[in-house]
Amino acid sequence: MAEVILEKICKTYGNNFRAIDQLNLSVEDGEFLILVGPSGCGKSTALRMIAGLEDITSGSLRIGGFDVVDMPPKDRDIAMVFQSYALYPHMTVFENIAFSMRLAGKPKAERKKRVDEIAKTLQLTSLLDSKPANLSGGQRQRVAMGRAMVREPAAFLMDEPLSNLDAKLRVQMRAEITSLQKQLGVTTIYVTHDQIEAMTMGDRVAVLKGGVLQQVDTPKRLYESPVNAFVAGFIGSPSMNLFEATLKGSELVFRDFAIRLQDAAFVRRPGLRSYAGRKIVFGIRPEDLYDSSLESGRKYQTIPAKVTSIEELGSEHIVHLNIDAVRVDSGDPDAVDDFGLASNAVARFEPASAVHSGSEIRLALDDSKSHFFDPETHLVI
Amino acid sequence: MTRQKRSRHRLKRAVAPYLYLSPSLLIIGLLMLLPMVTVIGYSFQNSAVLRRDPSFAGLKHYQAIFNDPVFWASLWHTLYFTCMSVVFHMTIGMIFALMLNSDRINPTLRNILRVLYILPWLFTAVIIAVIWRLLLEPNGVVNSVLMQMGIIGSKVEWFSSPETALHAVTFANIWAGYPLFMVSLLAGLQGIPKDFYEAADIDGAKAYQKLIFITIPQLMPIIISISLLDFIWTMQVFPLIWITTGGGPIYSTEVLSTYTYKLAFSSYNLSQASASAVVILLISLGLTLFYIRYQKAR
Repeated sequence: MAEVILEKICKTYGNNFRAIDQLNLSVEDGEFLILVGPSGCGKSTALRMIAGLEDITSGSLRIGGFDVVDMPPKDRDIAMVFQSYALYPHMTVFENIAFSMRLAGKPKAERKKRVDEIAKTLQLTSLLDSKPANLSGGQRQRVAMGRAMVREPAAFLMDEPLSNLDAKLRVQMRAEITSLQKQLGVTTIYVTHDQIEAMTMGDRVAVLKGGVLQQVDTPKRLYESPVNAFVAGFIGSPSMNLFEATLKGSELVFRDFAIRLQDAAFVRRPGLRSYAGRKIVFGIRPEDLYDSSLESGRKYQTIPAKVTSIEELGSEHIVHLNIDAVRVDSGDPDAVDDFGLASNAVARFEPASAVHSGSEIRLALDDSKSHFFDPETHLVI
Repeated sequence: MTRQKRSRHRLKRAVAPYLYLSPSLLIIGLLMLLPMVTVIGYSFQNSAVLRRDPSFAGLKHYQAIFNDPVFWASLWHTLYFTCMSVVFHMTIGMIFALMLNSDRINPTLRNILRVLYILPWLFTAVIIAVIWRLLLEPNGVVNSVLMQMGIIGSKVEWFSSPETALHAVTFANIWAGYPLFMVSLLAGLQGIPKDFYEAADIDGAKAYQKLIFITIPQLMPIIISISLLDFIWTMQVFPLIWITTGGGPIYSTEVLSTYTYKLAFSSYNLSQASASAVVILLISLGLTLFYIRYQKAR
């Protein structure tokens, strides 16, 4: 077990493309850190650099106090779980798990003892003689975990290990990996593009965009206090609604309606005053928008909206809306999926809501949960 | 639908697959099965082809060829020629494929090497035979280079000496045949996921361990398939040997194909030639059955 410290890590490819720019990250001993971001943000590259599978252009990387920049992967005392699991199809589960011990020339009895222990932990004992082709996705995933565990490494590196599983199995494996990590107490760096995995699994989450670290924090703080519009839009599903507005006195003026801001909003964010008379990016999460006809929505101020479509999920309704305001792009390529062509906002209503597609409604909003960002830099105000 | 219509529809469906297969079956039957059966028939006749009413000879011609020391020499030469060719085709093909698949070689150089290595495949057997006859003739390039390097003291008559002729034709055949292995193995290598090697790197595998534990097991289906096919094809090689040595000197490069050819078209003993051809057919058939069984097992 060890801490992993990245200092000013850069990765530049031959064509001058900078995949990682000045990445500073400190993962504590036994911590579960999630690296998250949209496709192409550099999260897998960062992980592969920690593993030693990619060269580091500049910067320093220490694992367990040792500078490992020039060390080959095998000397870094890490184990990696690949997205594809990288299980050798011609070897049995036992042989796959024991592979690193075999390479290290460990005696057969020792190999068997260790693999049996791991198989017991991962409930793979009955499958030790099977080939990977005869296993289910979840079982393969567990074998990949077993192969990483057998080495008793200082750190686990996991590259989107759940992305090949179906939705139901993914939920189960999420819980299994989390509890296994807690049980083993091994420092773990886990890469994913799925922000639900990021929010539910990690002690802390590092959000990357375009090779630049945006924010590292606990899932709760990341959700409640995003440092910029990108993190605000990326964390949370459906994404935060972001609109352009002008601050006039204590009112936020949109195209055809206005929202009154309470004094508390200015107390919490003193910088807001300096935006008087200027444009601002206003953000509100779908769960902070309410159906005004229901009890839950009555206490809040309302704005006009048109329902474009509804996804009834049983426990809640995801309501796609069109409001008379200019939507702001957070810079998250995945967020575009949340909005149809006709809608520019999403709300999460209680299942009791009777709104239907095409209806004009009054949308209640809890303005105490508002977020404000600079229109140029997209940084939080 | 009436009952009559239904049964006609059923009949059409039942016959359709045979109709689709019939053109190829007809061609195979006329061009392969018919000659094969005819040759088998000849091997049991006296003076086959030469006489209008040949008499039944039983196993006489088989006994004759089995009692002929040249037949056994040919069989041994065929096995040596084939085994050495297949082993070296595979070894050289594998080395070149690994080289062409390596990231450590400059991509431009790799493309040039790819073209160079595949060249022997582009030549027909006649051209290969002519090239090697020129290279290996007593006053040829090979002797001159070897003498300059001090490896040989005097000029060697590679194709004309009974000690070296079989090795020389085998060498020429190895040179001509490795590209098939190289191309097939290269395609196989490119299909092995990179993750396997990266996982092995993290586990601490050395280059030779990656070759033994990952590359070769992953290529095994290709290695077995191509080796069996190569074995079957090489066993039947005729033009290269015929043009370079003609089976000589003193039968030292006589293989089953040249032995059979000489029986048929030099001695005009078509019955014995047919018996010899049937022996080749049986050996090939055994290997083919092995190949089919392997393919089915997969």
